[in-house]
Amino acid sequence: MFVYEKKLQYPVNIKTPNLKLAKIIASQYGGADGELGASLRYLSQRFTMPLPELKGMLTDIGTEELGHLEMVGTLMYQLTKGVSAEQVEKAGFADYFVDHTTGVYPSSAAGVPFTAAYLQSKGDPVTDLHEDLAAEQKARTTYDNILRFCDDYDVKDVIRFLREREVVHYQRFGESLRLLTDKLDEKNFYAFNPSFDKACFKKKEKQ
Amino acid sequence: MTKREALLKKLSTYQFAAHDLQLYLDSHPDDSETIEKMNRFKEQAQQLKAQYEQSYGPLTKRATDRNNWNWIKAPWPWESEEDC
Repeated sequence: MFVYEKKLQYPVNIKTPNLKLAKIIASQYGGADGELGASLRYLSQRFTMPLPELKGMLTDIGTEELGHLEMVGTLMYQLTKGVSAEQVEKAGFADYFVDHTTGVYPSSAAGVPFTAAYLQSKGDPVTDLHEDLAAEQKARTTYDNILRFCDDYDVKDVIRFLREREVVHYQRFGESLRLLTDKLDEKNFYAFNPSFDKACFKKKEKQ
Repeated sequence: MTKREALLKKLSTYQFAAHDLQLYLDSHPDDSETIEKMNRFKEQAQQLKAQYEQSYGPLTKRATDRNNWNWIKAPWPWESEEDC
């Protein structure tokens, strides 16, 4: 189960609302490579992971992603706080505003609502871990793109923190994949699904 | 940064250090040196958490004041103190 802690993983204190930034940052809330997709991906894939290391990794990174979702939601909330209808129109935020006012809704920057089609849970740990490695890089690129448009230090600081976590998670998923393949019978590597075909693991070496 | 925010940031720093090492330990479970380091950060975080909760209310859903359900008190994590 999950227990809520009433704090953010990293502080978010935005002093100046900025609707243009809110519009692009929305993609990391409910876009194709956003934090909602990341947490659902890992927390769903973990059920069929075969090794204790992998069950732990997917659980812990998936949980951290929920914390990141909360941070991006906080960015959305603070960047849209106290704005006038006139500012909304001027910043090109009216197409979001008309459906959600300043409510935080999971969609991409272009307004496409979140869909589970952004993620996969394939039930094959080799396949799933490759997806996870790709997902971390895609999120890293999205944060890099957001940084190109950031002129507010307080927003930049938060985005940089989140970007760095993508890099660390990529490293950890790489280790996870290596741990798995090291335990597989190399003759079978891609011919078997390690979660479904138990015979693909190396026989225990005789002492 | 208010005194509350500064203490919360300090707590988050230790929590984060412990968390980052915990992810590392998921793929390196036999690294006893890292376990020791992680436990040190966690211990410091626990002390700071107790200090924070004593001054500013509970971080997890419980009562730190027997006469008041202060869990619901502002600010929530997405709010600043100026909102309250």
